[in-house]
Amino acid sequence: MEHAGSAVTARDRAPGTVPAAAELKDAAAAAAGDTRAFERLYRAHVARIHSLARRMLGADLAGEVTQDVFVRAWQKLGTFRGEAAFGTWLHRLAVNVVLAERARLGTRRGRFAEGEGVMDALAARPAATDAGLDFDAAIERLPEGARQVFVLHDVEGYRHEEIASLLGVTSGTTKAQLHRARMLLRRHLGS
Amino acid sequence: MTGHWTERLSEYLDGELPALERASLEAHLAGCAGCARTLEELRVVAARAARLQVRPPGDDLWPGIAERLEPRAARTLDLGAARARRWSFTLPQLAAAGLLLMLLSGGAVWLALTRRPAPAPAGISTAPRLASAPETSRTADTAVSAAAALPAAYDAARYDAAIAELEGVLREHRGELDPATVRAIEENLRIIDRATGQARRALAADPASPYLNGHLAEQLKLKVALLRQAAALVGARG
Ligand SMILES: [Zn+2]
Repeated sequence: MEHAGSAVTARDRAPGTVPAAAELKDAAAAAAGDTRAFERLYRAHVARIHSLARRMLGADLAGEVTQDVFVRAWQKLGTFRGEAAFGTWLHRLAVNVVLAERARLGTRRGRFAEGEGVMDALAARPAATDAGLDFDAAIERLPEGARQVFVLHDVEGYRHEEIASLLGVTSGTTKAQLHRARMLLRRHLGS
Repeated sequence: MTGHWTERLSEYLDGELPALERASLEAHLAGCAGCARTLEELRVVAARAARLQVRPPGDDLWPGIAERLEPRAARTLDLGAARARRWSFTLPQLAAAGLLLMLLSGGAVWLALTRRPAPAPAGISTAPRLASAPETSRTADTAVSAAAALPAAYDAARYDAAIAELEGVLREHRGELDPATVRAIEENLRIIDRATGQARRALAADPASPYLNGHLAEQLKLKVALLRQAAALVGARG
């Protein structure tokens, strides 16, 4: 997978892509302790992982969580079976790390975890102001549940069944959250 | 515009409404400008999200990662007696060799099931590396670049006989091998068996496929090679 270009979307994870020989080699070398090989994997995938973390958790936490993801990947490389591309394996691991962090924060924040009302307040502002708001920034302001589902489904290309199982909810819930997120984001399209 | 239908627009957009509801919603859309407009907006939001690009972090996060990476323990896995020294490898080497076999068999299944033209999985040439354990990168190199020609047909009975014989040898001498080695071998055998099973099931639906036949033959060859290695380990300790 190529991630160096600027036109890479989050969906380019392309499940089932033939694993690139160079990445398999680097993954095997990293599993055996080669940190240079692991750094190459980091360089190839950091933009995608960091973007996921930023959209799911916000810019403040994204750097730290991205580092956690790669440290975790280093520890778990021995379990990588090559049944999917390395990027797909890494992304799944990243989603799990991000959701665990999310849950930890949610516990800490208690009843404020849902972040209800932030977007509704935003929505009440004049359209001219909203139009200037960056779409990415608007995603970060979505209520928690809607944001997670929206990022995983519409940005990252996961299916409802996968998201439901990751979040431990029903796919009826994820469908409702997705719809809510899209409805809230309509006014941030910049037009 | 009615609230009921507005709530279903995302599902409709994603093609997830059952046929009956889809038809009812379409009938409603034809006469409701509000819902039609909302649907269009939702479509734009989803399309915009799919086009969002990834962006690298502002700071280089690598130094902070590098300092947290635990060095891999280069413990030597001594398989026993002095004369077996040539069969000892470090755990990482063994892990890498095992990983490689997994990569090959896993990747091969995917290739077979989707029929995408791609290099064939490395066959019999891979397994000897498991035992002789050269430096890891060479192992990966050799196996990944090896593009064994696929046989047009295979003799299932011949492979099955060889497999049965080698499995017998391994069963008999299992106790003489290091448990970690046994685990690595068995894990790889399970992976190959899974690939073989998938290939056989795919063949049942498409018995004439040269690719699937070749793929199955490759998996069986891989299995024979792995079993031979295991038997050789036992022999080396003789
Ligand atoms: Zn309507």
